[in-house]
Amino acid sequence: MNFFKRAWLNLVAKKGRTVLLILVTSAIMLFVLAGLLIRNAADAATSNAKKSIGATLTLSANREAAFKKMRQGTASSTKTKPSLSMTPVKLADVKKIAKLNNVASYNLTSTTSVNAKSFDAISTSSTSSQSVMQGGGDAPGGDKMTSSQGDIAVSGVSATSLTSNFTDNNYKITKGRGIKASDANTNNIIIETELAKQESLKVGDTVTVKATSGSKTYKLTIVGIYKAPSTSTSSQMGPGATDPSNTIYSSYTLANTIKGTKYANTADSVTFTVSDPAKVSSVKKAGKKLINTSKYSLSANDASYQSVKASMNNVKSFADKIVWLVAIAGTIILALIVILMIRERRYEIGVLLSMGESRMKIIGQFFVEMFIVLVIAVGVAGIGGKFVGNKLGEQLVAQETSSTASNVNSQRPGSTGGQAGPGGSAPSGQAGRSGGASFMGSSKTDKTELDVQVTPTNLAELGGFGLAIIFISITLASGGILRLSPRKVLID
Amino acid sequence: MLTIKNLGYWYDRQENSLFENVNLEFEQGQSYAIVGQSGSGKTTFLSLIAGLDKPRAGEISFNGKGINSIGLTKYRQYNVSIVFQSYNLLTYMSPLNNLLTAMAVTQSSHKGDKKYAQEMLRKLGLTDEQMTKNVQRLSGGQQQRVAIARTMCCDAKLVVADEPTGNLDEENTQDVIQLFQKIAHEQNRCVIIVTHEPDVAAACDHSYRLAHHVFTAEK
Repeated sequence: MNFFKRAWLNLVAKKGRTVLLILVTSAIMLFVLAGLLIRNAADAATSNAKKSIGATLTLSANREAAFKKMRQGTASSTKTKPSLSMTPVKLADVKKIAKLNNVASYNLTSTTSVNAKSFDAISTSSTSSQSVMQGGGDAPGGDKMTSSQGDIAVSGVSATSLTSNFTDNNYKITKGRGIKASDANTNNIIIETELAKQESLKVGDTVTVKATSGSKTYKLTIVGIYKAPSTSTSSQMGPGATDPSNTIYSSYTLANTIKGTKYANTADSVTFTVSDPAKVSSVKKAGKKLINTSKYSLSANDASYQSVKASMNNVKSFADKIVWLVAIAGTIILALIVILMIRERRYEIGVLLSMGESRMKIIGQFFVEMFIVLVIAVGVAGIGGKFVGNKLGEQLVAQETSSTASNVNSQRPGSTGGQAGPGGSAPSGQAGRSGGASFMGSSKTDKTELDVQVTPTNLAELGGFGLAIIFISITLASGGILRLSPRKVLID
Repeated sequence: MLTIKNLGYWYDRQENSLFENVNLEFEQGQSYAIVGQSGSGKTTFLSLIAGLDKPRAGEISFNGKGINSIGLTKYRQYNVSIVFQSYNLLTYMSPLNNLLTAMAVTQSSHKGDKKYAQEMLRKLGLTDEQMTKNVQRLSGGQQQRVAIARTMCCDAKLVVADEPTGNLDEENTQDVIQLFQKIAHEQNRCVIIVTHEPDVAAACDHSYRLAHHVFTAEK
């Protein structure tokens, strides 16, 4: 009878002790598994976040450099009034960046304003419109505003389906269709539902608008009607062009045409969607090499991804701590139990030693006993692990997500400011880059969930941990066996 | 078979030695009794010849080889079989499994032979039912028989027994004495029994008394 069979006989004969060992080992394995599951789920959630949240790069005029140039001009000439000269983004540069790896798509944004001619813009009773309108184009979408402001904001985009306000479902197409890439070089527009109701406009109707400078008019065809949120912020509900209802979406080419011929083949800003958010930095680095950085800036908008990543990293870090703490505590607990078990079995060890059994085989017997216990414990943990992992994971994610979301919002003062930009570009969603990122981040971070699943790989990993724990425990406890003299046990 | 030269043992100081310069010879096919008063060092002597402890002085040789050079574990495994006063059986097993375990550990020529083990137990008076129930449910006499059967199943040529009849009644004592005689004479083994019972000593072929640190042949 070898030590494997002895181990089995011992476990069967000492049922109470065996059950106790299984319970203790199961509890340890359960918590190790819960930690492993949460860690793996956090990894998977981070990976999913890469796919679902995405990240963007925004190419726009370099405002900092423009201000510097303006200040230098002011210093050299005190007679002329300083003016900020911003260079619109050239499409040629855009196409170069678009060819970079990991750039999935891009959205061109060009904004301007016009005056309604064949219809009336939604008017407000506010008298402070002028001051708001001239507040300075804080948002990138607003920095190309002409000096005289119209009552209708024209938000030119490549496609509304690429615009965050629409992708986030804040704005919804209720009739007709959105602006598509094929609308380039056409006068197709979509208007807000309130404006459509007030003026009894419908899809297929034509409206006329007049440029804010000069007498040029444009006939625009309504191809769709969208609905802006009814609960706009106070800043969104500004007068004139800043009112979301007075915003019309068109192709960026139409906005450029209205702004003037020198704006042909340009955009105020371009948002590139990066397929893998983890690659944002490398794409940004490569993109900067393709542009004149004294005129343009390329900024990364991966706050959402970073916030989810940070949140998941915290969960993962906590899960790692659980795994290691439980593993260490489990090793200590099991080692103590095995030490006590060995002390209790000194007599048996003495008998085996007196027969000439090797100490290694006696230790091997204990190892086999614990291995059998471990196999059962891993099974028990496998059954209960998903439940514990889910509960623990939910708790952790709830804490982490709420704290991260609040951090993101508190760190992003432009979350509404961007949309409230005086450039009248609020509905474009590209207006405030930090605002856009925050908006996306707060909405998607809240949805982050841990999908805790027990897989054979998890169980194998748990088994590995368990083996290591029992190996260390038995090694620690075996010191006594190696020193044990059969005479002391059996005769003294 | 077993040669003891200048054997000495003490715990803390040599001046307080249990015995010194012991020179004895034990032969195969013979039974020996070591008698003496409690505390005289009989059991210590037995633990030395059984390879459970190392002597402080002198040498023990088995078939011409020092047991230290054989290695005490190997010596116990292949050459010695020990019967204790308290039986020292594996308590979580049946008598049959105790025998099978001993046969496996000592690499007996009958290793794994369940029928042989059953036959041995039957010879020593255990029923088939008793063979398979837990060893702790047997009486003292039956447990000692199992311990002796364990010895008989192994191939060790040296059998040492420490007070094997200490916990037994008179009838069982006589049975056990006869069994040891059979082991010595029929199985051609060397049996050394440490005892303080005159009946047991009288039944053995040879008898040594340990008194005042010295072994004296009585028979």
